[in-house]
Amino acid sequence: MTDLLLDHLTEEALTGRSDAAGEPSWLRDHRLAAFKRTLDQSWPDSRKDEFWRSTPFDRRFDIDRSVVTSGEVTTAVPASITASLDEDAALVRLVDGSVVDIHLPTSFAERGVVITDLATAANEHADLVRSHLGSLTSADPEGTGAGSDKTVTVNDAAWTAGVFVHVPAEVELEAPISVQVHVTEPGAHLPRVLAVLGHHARAAVYLEHTSEPDVDAFVDEVVEVIAQDASMLDVVSLQRWDDGIQHLALQKVQAHRDTTVRHLSVTTGGATVRLLPECDLVGPGAEVRPLGIYFADDGQWFDLQPYVRHIAPHAKSDVLFKGALQGHSRTVFRGNIYVHKDAVGTDTDENNRSLILTEGARADATPFLEIECADITAGHGSATGQIDALHLFYLESRGIPRDEALRLIVAGFFREVLGEIDLPGVEDAAVAEIEARVEAADLDQVQVNDATLQDLG
Amino acid sequence: MADLEIRDLKVEADGTELLHGVDLELDKGKTLALMGPNGSGKSTLAYAIAGHPAYDITGGSVHWKGTELNELTPDERAKLGVFLAMQYPVEVPGVSLTNFLRTAVNSVNEEDIPVREFMTRLREEMSELGVDQSFLQRSINEGFSGGEKKRFEILQAALLRPELAVLDETDSGLDVDALKTVAEGVNRLSGPDLGVLIITHYTRILRYIQPDEVHVMFEGRIVASGGPELADELEEHGYENLRTTA
Repeated sequence: MTDLLLDHLTEEALTGRSDAAGEPSWLRDHRLAAFKRTLDQSWPDSRKDEFWRSTPFDRRFDIDRSVVTSGEVTTAVPASITASLDEDAALVRLVDGSVVDIHLPTSFAERGVVITDLATAANEHADLVRSHLGSLTSADPEGTGAGSDKTVTVNDAAWTAGVFVHVPAEVELEAPISVQVHVTEPGAHLPRVLAVLGHHARAAVYLEHTSEPDVDAFVDEVVEVIAQDASMLDVVSLQRWDDGIQHLALQKVQAHRDTTVRHLSVTTGGATVRLLPECDLVGPGAEVRPLGIYFADDGQWFDLQPYVRHIAPHAKSDVLFKGALQGHSRTVFRGNIYVHKDAVGTDTDENNRSLILTEGARADATPFLEIECADITAGHGSATGQIDALHLFYLESRGIPRDEALRLIVAGFFREVLGEIDLPGVEDAAVAEIEARVEAADLDQVQVNDATLQDLG
Repeated sequence: MADLEIRDLKVEADGTELLHGVDLELDKGKTLALMGPNGSGKSTLAYAIAGHPAYDITGGSVHWKGTELNELTPDERAKLGVFLAMQYPVEVPGVSLTNFLRTAVNSVNEEDIPVREFMTRLREEMSELGVDQSFLQRSINEGFSGGEKKRFEILQAALLRPELAVLDETDSGLDVDALKTVAEGVNRLSGPDLGVLIITHYTRILRYIQPDEVHVMFEGRIVASGGPELADELEEHGYENLRTTA
């Protein structure tokens, strides 16, 4: 097959691949239309592009790569966090640009749940896929949002491994659906996920990102989820990459009337992770809770940009991201809330808290509001601090050694977020990630805030 | 040498000397009350004993069971049986009370108590002190009222079984019922293996916990010492007389 270069896509190569995958002609045309759009687009310029100002694209992402499609069934993929659950969870394993394995529990299949690779779905469920694939990336009626930049359009044109999930109306799944994205080959990886929840459906979709050690790769991911009326959706995205990964992810949910959406991202791995958990609230009564925890260590750069767009009236959003940093690391939180002029009765809040453990780390926070409607309730806040010396003294004075006290306090810092998530396996996995980071930390270097100490007489 | 022996102790915070040479002795099995007006240095002494990072010992010494405490970290002092019930217990968000207490008990005892055994003990102590079981779900001191925080301090003492309990204004902010509960809690812990240092502004708690000695601190010095009757005098005349004698 013709080698496909991320920065030099060709019509010929895209057509060849689409045909070889047995994709229907509409899908090929869909890809080619996206390809044509890429020709008019340039890669993000962090000096000019408002949404990219926070992270220098040219320094943190390397686009001079071939698109990887060589995934094999035999590759050892780390165990999914759903592996230890009592429930029989659905599992899709997506390795090096190929869907290598799908487990669809019988109880899911009996209720009409579809989990398949996207090329197959394009043939077998053409109506659903055709009307929704790319509906949240290429169409951007309000013209705000980062959803249409070249990093996304390239995925629209050239996505390799894709997963399609359909949970029919009124089907409530107790067990999660896990999509594991695992990288073993250097190059560009373009995973794609499309999920559609029918009205009154309920599902949790986990996205587990892992890689083999020392693999230098760029992962340009697009996830679209359509949550139809009164459905309940949880998305959990775990960034457990090894060191060499540059990860760019648009994870976008369209929330219709009376939906309840939660999105939790847990970011601990990767060289650079730029995560855009987005939600368009297009129906009244919809609620979204974007949650994030992250722990950045030496050399890591995390750019987290939850984006909620209140299009419909009487919808609610409440963003909470908490991160810890140590070593020479950098985190960016840019929360964006957009409220359309017709979105009366909007209730929105966004908060970011950062805990700087050691010198040299830097956390930037910009809770951003763009409000066109007066009749709403909106709040935002951010704070960056260090471990409180009084907290530490209190624990130490009860006989708890400093290192252990620090671990308890850091874990406690994240508890506010984790306490909101009751999904099977998620809390344990998140806590394990955080604890592993704290274990690895040089606790002697931890600096505490002693400003509070002097208040006492 | 007394179990707790404080000699000519000088303590500084933020560059200001707050204790100007304090002497105090306390043996296990005894209860000592340290009284004095606000700002006299009582809490400073308590913090110096516990190893609060903002308080520097610049002169003199604090020995506990023959060990110089100044060279020890706060957790090492706790392992030697030193406990400070704080005047203003801090809220530590997200750290579960149960996890905190079990970690502390295991650390002080240097062995892991089985979870079930620990929970049984914890529940018993909670009901003795009238602490609602729903607190088990909470974070340390988070959302506690002033009185609840004080009870929780005594609950910690009950679990850690210290040999020296310094109670810094444990009575402040308590209504009389809560005060009785807390005092009963302290009295239950008392015995030949516990020395108690009660720091208070008021004599009220001393009606429920009988001190063997009363010392009065003023402007960073002990200015009067005596038996329980000294507390009664203070009750009657207040601290005003001290200002003239000091």
